[in-house]
Amino acid sequence: MNIFVLLALGGAAGLLAGMFGVGGGFLATPLLIFVGIPPAVAVASQANQVVANSVSSLQVQLRRGNVDIRMGLVLLLGGMMGSGGGVWLFTYLKRIGQIDFVIAVTYVVMLSAIGLLMLYESATTYIRRRRNPEAPRGKLHTHYLVHRLPFKLRFYKSKLYISALLPIGLGFVIGILSAILGVGGGFVLVPAMIYLLGMPTTVVIGTSNFQILFVAANVTFLQAASNGTVDVVLALLLIVGGVVGAPIGSRIAARLPGVVLRGLMAVLVLAVAAELLTELLRTPSSQYSISGREAPL
Amino acid sequence: MRRLLALMVLGLALSSPAVAQRVEPPGSLPGPTLGSSPEPGTPPSVPNTSAMPDLIMDLAHPRVSITSAFQGETLLLFGMFDPPGEIVVVVAGPPSRETVMRKERFLGLWLNTGRQAFDDVPAYYFIAASQPLQRLLARGAGGEILSLEDRLSSVRSVGEREHQDLIRFRQGLVEVKRREGLYPANIGQVIVQAGRLFRADLPFPSRLPEGVYEVRAYLLREGRITAAVSRPLPVGKVGFSAELAGWAAQDGELYGLSAIALALLAGWFGGAVMRRV
Repeated sequence: MNIFVLLALGGAAGLLAGMFGVGGGFLATPLLIFVGIPPAVAVASQANQVVANSVSSLQVQLRRGNVDIRMGLVLLLGGMMGSGGGVWLFTYLKRIGQIDFVIAVTYVVMLSAIGLLMLYESATTYIRRRRNPEAPRGKLHTHYLVHRLPFKLRFYKSKLYISALLPIGLGFVIGILSAILGVGGGFVLVPAMIYLLGMPTTVVIGTSNFQILFVAANVTFLQAASNGTVDVVLALLLIVGGVVGAPIGSRIAARLPGVVLRGLMAVLVLAVAAELLTELLRTPSSQYSISGREAPL
Repeated sequence: MRRLLALMVLGLALSSPAVAQRVEPPGSLPGPTLGSSPEPGTPPSVPNTSAMPDLIMDLAHPRVSITSAFQGETLLLFGMFDPPGEIVVVVAGPPSRETVMRKERFLGLWLNTGRQAFDDVPAYYFIAASQPLQRLLARGAGGEILSLEDRLSSVRSVGEREHQDLIRFRQGLVEVKRREGLYPANIGQVIVQAGRLFRADLPFPSRLPEGVYEVRAYLLREGRITAAVSRPLPVGKVGFSAELAGWAAQDGELYGLSAIALALLAGWFGGAVMRRV
């Protein structure tokens, strides 16, 4: 595999991460699969990259005091269980030869859902702004049935008094996603923390980074130990690309209005989903393959 | 921007001694170190007799080294024989179990629905001959010289399966190996010069499985093997990628922890450096 292709890929993922404020993993992994890295290796090495990415963001958030450690730890409790279960599931699927298929299908579903939601959101915002630029934003924090669950805990920093089951469950789901897709899960976690838990947006990014760091580290460790699918060289190239790409991306982002940015992102996400889907639908050049063949770097 | 690059290089340089230290594999790996030249002392596989043997051969390199930039290579085999006669060369990779997966359409999507394992599948198989093989082996006296089809008819399937289906899986196996260049479709050409010198190019593709390959040369007279020489050909990763691969396989836990440590370091320092620019 060409080193410069991978560096460019890491850079592109970093650029996107910087532009859209997400980890970029959920775009980088499909891109790695497109250039021919086996999905199992792409996912596990991407998890390693997420560790670097989130520690880099976390150091800023910690300095600004934007991390709700208590909430982070509760999320992490679920996250560890979820990622443990996720890696177990991954190992099982790899053994029966279905892991590549499951990764592709899960990505198609996730990316289509997120892409459509973002497209819808940015389109409606755009239309609303054009009609009435002064329109106030809707209420963010509403109370649902989920707030009546037991084991309530007080989260001072988030100014919340909610059941611990909620963040634990959320962390669990993110952990599974992280193990199977190699993503940090920020693109699911952040909206869920805002809309589902009702956390103030100031602490959301830092706290999700906190949880993602540890979950991604756990996934990396478990993948390396049980599947041997972590490729450090690949991860390092992605990290270097990401470190360089992210600040450039955030500078580009600063010059574009948010609505346009989200619209662009939605189109990109949908394009990746469509490409993955056509690969699943296209008649393969050969019906046969040999299992367990990993591409050498 | 230049200052930034210098800082990054510095950061990498600072973190690399720690990395290099951890990279050492727990067990000593077989294989040479990076950039080693072929040992001058490696003797060709000449039988240890005082009399001049009927057949000798050697390879241009004693091993195939897979570096991270390996794009496949053509290895020259050469030798000499006592005329008259014809030469056949057989190169076989180490045998192992391979599991063949078959995709079928399910609700419009292609997914693996069938699997069949075979034991004793050679990782690589290549034959070269100085004349069309059929003619050389016409009398069926080739004995141990097996065409790919003959060689594969002996692989053992694991588990029960209907005969016709098994044949399809076996064909699928050959198809995949052909595509990867591991079972070259054509019989290679052994070129004979001056009636007694011979040479052949052994084609190795980029996705070459590691292991000790066996290179055999046969001297045939009137369809019978009158002499045969054999020598092992080690194929392995060398350098950094080899150490990493060996390490990842042998001690996954430590490898995983180091991967995390590396990511933490790179992320922390990389992020700190980039923010200052």
